[in-house]
Amino acid sequence: MANYTSASPMLGNKLSRSQHIRKEAPKQIFLLVSSALLIIYGIVFYYIPLVGWLTAFQNYQPAKGIFGSEWIGFAKFKFLFDDKTFWQDLRNTIAMGVINLVLSFVTAIGFALLLNEVRSMLAKRFIQTISYMPHFLSMIIVTAIVHDALSSEGAVNELLMSLKWVDQAIPFFSIKGYFWWIVAFTNIWKETGWNAIIYLAAITSIDPSLYEAADIDGAGRFQKMWYITLPSLKPTIIILLIINVGNVLNAGFELQYILGNDVIRSVSDTIDIYVLRWGIKQFDFSLGTAAGIFKSAVSIILVVLSNQVSKWAGEEKLF
Amino acid sequence: MKTKKIVSVALAALMVTSAVAACNGGKPGAGEIKEFSSFFAATATTTITDDNEIQAIIAEKVGARCKETWLTGGDAGEAIGTLMASGQYPDFINGGDASKQLYDAGALVAWDEYIDKYPNIKEFYSDYDWDQFRQEDGHIYWMNPFDQIYGQDMTTEHSAEAFWIQCRVLEWDNYPTITTMDEYFDLIERYNAANPTTPEGAANIPYTILCEDWRYFCLENAPQFLDGYPNDGSVIVDVDTEQIVDYNTTPTARVYFQKLNEEYHNGIVDPESFTQTYDEYISKLSSGRVLGFIDQWWDFAYTINDVFKSNDTEQYGYNYVPLPVTIDGRDNQWNTPGGQLNVSSGIAITTSCKDVEGAFKFINDLLDQEILDLRNWGVKDVDYCVDENGLYYRTDAQVAQCADSNYKSTHLCGYSYFPNWSGTSRDGINAMTPGQQPSLFRATLPQSVVDCFDAYGVDTYVEMLHSVDNSGVWFPMWSYSNNMNTSTPGGTAWTRMGECKHQWLPEVVMSDDFDATWDAYMAAYAETEPELFLAEMQEELDRRIQNYNDFLASQS
Repeated sequence: MANYTSASPMLGNKLSRSQHIRKEAPKQIFLLVSSALLIIYGIVFYYIPLVGWLTAFQNYQPAKGIFGSEWIGFAKFKFLFDDKTFWQDLRNTIAMGVINLVLSFVTAIGFALLLNEVRSMLAKRFIQTISYMPHFLSMIIVTAIVHDALSSEGAVNELLMSLKWVDQAIPFFSIKGYFWWIVAFTNIWKETGWNAIIYLAAITSIDPSLYEAADIDGAGRFQKMWYITLPSLKPTIIILLIINVGNVLNAGFELQYILGNDVIRSVSDTIDIYVLRWGIKQFDFSLGTAAGIFKSAVSIILVVLSNQVSKWAGEEKLF
Repeated sequence: MKTKKIVSVALAALMVTSAVAACNGGKPGAGEIKEFSSFFAATATTTITDDNEIQAIIAEKVGARCKETWLTGGDAGEAIGTLMASGQYPDFINGGDASKQLYDAGALVAWDEYIDKYPNIKEFYSDYDWDQFRQEDGHIYWMNPFDQIYGQDMTTEHSAEAFWIQCRVLEWDNYPTITTMDEYFDLIERYNAANPTTPEGAANIPYTILCEDWRYFCLENAPQFLDGYPNDGSVIVDVDTEQIVDYNTTPTARVYFQKLNEEYHNGIVDPESFTQTYDEYISKLSSGRVLGFIDQWWDFAYTINDVFKSNDTEQYGYNYVPLPVTIDGRDNQWNTPGGQLNVSSGIAITTSCKDVEGAFKFINDLLDQEILDLRNWGVKDVDYCVDENGLYYRTDAQVAQCADSNYKSTHLCGYSYFPNWSGTSRDGINAMTPGQQPSLFRATLPQSVVDCFDAYGVDTYVEMLHSVDNSGVWFPMWSYSNNMNTSTPGGTAWTRMGECKHQWLPEVVMSDDFDATWDAYMAAYAETEPELFLAEMQEELDRRIQNYNDFLASQS
């Protein structure tokens, strides 16, 4: 045993590098080809399109193409940073992103913990299936449901009025203070069940002997959740958190675009909508690209920062 | 494993062949019917099904058909921007407000060498009018399909913007003379106080404002009409001084929005005005609950008049008629007769089209009288009958059938975004379209509208307005501003002005302190630098006047 680990099998066979490749390659041909395809896929679909970033520094015109358009340096970025609407949309994006991030984590973990405590297997499966169904609905359908439910003659207002909590229908979509929470609630409704799946999977891999030991020590249900399940989930939670911090600026497009209206535009527009309004609709593709680059840069910084923070705190890290 | 491989190879092969097949549109063998594709940056009033009957008859006669696709959400800019980003275009395209960008992107085929070859196309415009379509490079890239009059102007419908009101309201007050905005709202208030519900028992919505996306013209552009100017769309042109005037900052604009603000607090303006979608708005109008509103006829009437007919609710007087409302009862120009030339957009043929001659031939064939009759009237003896004098008419059953939405999509085929005439038919006695056939127009009107016309002593919707025509040679100026974008300082200002108005106008109407909100709005509006926009509009106005003077000089 000691002998085996001190020298790797490759050296033990005394094969040179090229001999080794010749011997092993035919056996692993499937792996080699598929990983090569994956790398090509990555280059073609993730790196080559980055050439398009050049347009952010040009006055890009489709007829002239990337190589024929006039170079204008950072003019588009300057336009962006001088534009009040851009900063307002950035604020909205970050606010909705952070609210979504926090709430979706709390609800998904909470839901997974609760679901894990359900004794009846049948009930558990039933609840889980029902709860992740909305994930498969298209955003258009979800927004239609939300818009209907919250309209002046919708279910929510009918309920509030029949309970006599309010005497007039609440115009949910014309009050600025409500919008971020409507978006957050919609996201939670749609994604909680789906997000909980990964935690449920992680929970099943927790060593049952820990729970048995806790039982012997007299721990109750909530104590077991608090002292065993949650700490065991910590690595999963942290990794997912780091990944998702990078998505804060992807707070959304469809939801805000469809649910928003002129009255609450100052809180509903996100960066993606800004790109649509000022980039695509105005045919200023350069400005749209510039905003996209800015968004990517901020996202990368956020991921690196959160990774570092986690590292310094002695926790899991992504890289 | 092996079966899986075979299946995946087969699937891949299938995808490749279908992709190749899809690229072959518009390039058929001999004797086959050509298939053209198209995209129109507008919302369809009717979507034609693939097995549409008249489309098949036309295809049989002219040897080609065109599959129409429409905007299903968002606006022209988004759709065309997305198409341009992909670089793939359908054979025919109408880019709407984004037509100029298609030209800039080099996506369109120049028409100059084809126009003379196709007599029906050439006939559609005078040489002077064709010249107005020329872009900076001197070529023509599209023709506008609407508003051209053959023979006599037989316009019956006011197909533009107005203050509309339900016939039941006018009837209740014995058809009063309404010429000012105050009288209009006063009438609505009084009616609503006396009759808070519809005859069917639902609560009235006294006045609603459509405000979704680009349709917010229903809120924002009334000040130009209230001051007695025609729909130049983005600006007022002072006829005497030939100067551009901004209608957003006129005293009339303030009075108008203050009135809306008052009526909002009086409960007359629908509180959902600014949050409703277009669909919600249309369903409100269709329910007959809305007493009045501002809109363009084409934006609501084609849909809801048919709903009233098929739901049998015309009897309650739900149909709308326009009123000649101005700020102080002065002459109005809500209606501008004679067909207006919109050079800013139209049907174009793209560089992706593989059979350009075929495409022009298709447009040309669609303008043959026989095909025009099929497009506008339908199949003889099925959709219309001809009497002993050669006059076309429809029986009551035919009228009802042609208003049915299912029949419209499976049987009738208007090719509505291809060039079409209005006015008199080439036979000299009929109208090009049923809606303008005098006998038929009258016969298909709901009784409430007939009563209303009789009470006011008029025959058509247009006459309800008593519009005068003062529009200049530059009219309409919106055909220029619609094409502006952020590539010029004025276009950037124009976009910012729009954003500012979108955000502030609802606040102005809903505000509890109108004066303070109005001042804040005016301050925010000034920050968008509207003067840059107005300067570019003035330049265009001068160019158009110069252009016309040059033309006159060349004629004499």
